[in-house]
Amino acid sequence: MSFLELTNVDVSFGPPSNQVDILKNINLSVEENEFVAVIGFSGSGKSTLMNLLSGLQMPSNGSSSFKGSSIKEPGPELGMMFQNYSLLPWLSVGDNVKLAINRVFPKLSKSEVHEKMLHYVMMVKLDHAVDKKPHELSGGMRQRASLSRTLSLDPEVLLLDEPLSALDALTRSELQDQILNIWGNDKRTVVMITNDVDEAVLMADRIVPLTMGPGATLSKEFIVNIDRPRDRHTLNDDPEFMRLKSEITAFMLGLNKENKELKTESKVTMPDVRPKDFSLPSGAIKFSHLQKK
Amino acid sequence: MEKIKYLLLKTIDITGLTFLAPVVRLCYREEPQVQLKKIGQWIIVPLIAVFIALFIIYDGFIVDTFKTKAGKLPTSSKIYSSYKSIDQLHDDELAKQRAYHLSGEERVEALNAVDEKISSAEESLKLATQAVKDEQKITDREKAKKVAPAEAEYAKLKEDIKAAAALRDEELRLLSESVTPGDGAAAQKLLERVRADNAQDSLDTEARNLAKEKTNSIRLEPSPELAERKTEETYHVERLAFLKIYKQLLSSKNKSLVIDEKKEKIAAYETELSVLTGADALKKAKSIVRQESVMGNKKESEYAGSKTIWYQVERSILCVFTGFLIGSIIAIPMGIFCGLNKTFMAIMTPFIAIFKPVSPIVWLPIILIVVMGAFPNPDKHPFMEFLAELPLIGVYKINPAFMASAVTVALCSLWATMANTALGVASIDKDHMNVARVLKLGFCARLFKIIIPSSLPLIFAGLRISLGVGWMVLIAAELLSSSEGIGKFVFDEFNNGSSDSLAKMVVVVFIVGIIGLILDRIMIIFQRLVSFEGSAATI
Repeated sequence: MSFLELTNVDVSFGPPSNQVDILKNINLSVEENEFVAVIGFSGSGKSTLMNLLSGLQMPSNGSSSFKGSSIKEPGPELGMMFQNYSLLPWLSVGDNVKLAINRVFPKLSKSEVHEKMLHYVMMVKLDHAVDKKPHELSGGMRQRASLSRTLSLDPEVLLLDEPLSALDALTRSELQDQILNIWGNDKRTVVMITNDVDEAVLMADRIVPLTMGPGATLSKEFIVNIDRPRDRHTLNDDPEFMRLKSEITAFMLGLNKENKELKTESKVTMPDVRPKDFSLPSGAIKFSHLQKK
Repeated sequence: MEKIKYLLLKTIDITGLTFLAPVVRLCYREEPQVQLKKIGQWIIVPLIAVFIALFIIYDGFIVDTFKTKAGKLPTSSKIYSSYKSIDQLHDDELAKQRAYHLSGEERVEALNAVDEKISSAEESLKLATQAVKDEQKITDREKAKKVAPAEAEYAKLKEDIKAAAALRDEELRLLSESVTPGDGAAAQKLLERVRADNAQDSLDTEARNLAKEKTNSIRLEPSPELAERKTEETYHVERLAFLKIYKQLLSSKNKSLVIDEKKEKIAAYETELSVLTGADALKKAKSIVRQESVMGNKKESEYAGSKTIWYQVERSILCVFTGFLIGSIIAIPMGIFCGLNKTFMAIMTPFIAIFKPVSPIVWLPIILIVVMGAFPNPDKHPFMEFLAELPLIGVYKINPAFMASAVTVALCSLWATMANTALGVASIDKDHMNVARVLKLGFCARLFKIIIPSSLPLIFAGLRISLGVGWMVLIAAELLSSSEGIGKFVFDEFNNGSSDSLAKMVVVVFIVGIIGLILDRIMIIFQRLVSFEGSAATI
């Protein structure tokens, strides 16, 4: 029994006669303290996969389990970081994080909560914006605030739904290091969705591609055997990195091509309609067809 | 300096008085051209439009178009002067109240001052009456001159008609005599002639009436100078009457004087009592005690004058806020439950749908019965007594009529709040609910930390609409329930039907409008304070 597991999971919606499959036959097992990256194209159902893992959505078939028992409802142990930040707009950044902290650690005093909040906010380098409301922040800052709130939950599993996709390259690398740091220090289980192969190879132990939707499934895994700690500066010259990167990229492109070929061109037979008369219509009324009667 | 500017601009933005922003910016010399243009657009042009609408279109065209025998629309100067008279009435009542309570040195001083005023007022009155008499003479002369031709016409017409009628009668008589019995054609002819004669008679009557009306209308035409002199005279008469009553309140009806009188009387009776015995003594003692109780009542008494406009305005505002509060306390929790639970919403839908369009005038008699039944003995009821003791509100004397108006306001205005609250609660962003689920917030925490803050902008939008509707409903409710307020003022003026009642009604239009505007502004400020980026429409 692995730590976090999805067994033969299907997710579909609609009445049984007209069902649309989003995910089909998903099998994923994540070991404790493992870092798994899921790569996929847009629209393949990555967020649905995350919802399954966090308990926000139930599978139509199959089962999901966490530490042996099935996932029935979401909770702070499965810390989810949403793709569209989900910061409460009437609370400041600090208050958003405090809301999470107060929920998970109800016994702490006010000053302790404040300290904890500052610790997590400083971790994502947002201490200058603690009292700002989300609509006063840039997109990247909002993502960092959301990450900080998720981290403050102190979850056992971190579920990151494209956490760094909206950031610029420099902030991205900083936050990648930070996430790795946090993971390294506390050794949490992390499942991350990303669309950047470099990022996946840099950060993950295992990379699982998600095929294209509808009816997406997890296909061939890639184990990343590069030693930790991974240094991004030297990684570019590492032959293993280069091999993995080219393999995975080729694989993804292959998936894309397959998908395109699999699409049957809808050949609808057109009725054989031909005009009887090619002459241009004039204003005069033709009585010829009336005279036939 | 910059800080003050930004503070001012932020205040202007919150209060919604955006037309003042270019004025502030101009003072700080920021882009003078643009600011001047904006000032022209937002301040000067609307002012000119108001000016044109009021003084040119209204005074010039509308007032003269709608004239009836009962009266005509008041011009803007008349409106202004009746506003002054309402305000003057208020000041007079305040002065009278103060005079009633004056005692000692101040009373004597005021008494002396009033005598002078009375004499000068009598002088002005004499002059005004004389002016009226003079003007009347002039007007009568002119009127006689004007009426003369019309009268002559009328007399001539009467004469002509009479002569023509006599001629026709003669003809008819001759014709009737010429008809031999058995002569059908002649009889027919006679009949026709009689009919024609009848028709001519009615035409004649009409013409006569028309001519008479013409003379009447000329006679009844009011002369503006005479009207002016008369209003001046009335003004002086009123001032004199007020001064006389004022003097009375400083002398014979003054509270402290009456109390002193009573004290003297009691002292005299007591000395008398000391020399009496038996039944006489008993009678005397009883009368002493009676006087003492009267004195006691007098000490506690207040000046009982009629209520003035500003008191009525304050009471109306208190009533609308009471009703608004009652309505909101009912509407907001119900709205939240409706939004949370679809079954509850389905249950409430028929009630909301049926009661929402009901007019306050229909509700009021029903509410009156309910309220009267709830407080069968209003003077002795503990709740009413509690309300009368409250420091600020006690002076407004809350009675069942007030409660009935407030409840009517509540019933008519709570639907907007309820609908908006339900909408706000039902349309929370799914992401916020997901956050609540991940954080495993309990029902109460979810309600107060996520649902209510997220739907506050819509709730306040509903509250604002409710307050606007409530203010409109209040005037009608007060009018019908005779609760002391603006509605009662309108009712009194309506029944009064004096010459400037109509002008006073127009003044009330402006008062009600301005107060409604202020109430709306206050709600806008609250609405802006609770809204956040991405919230529902904040108009």
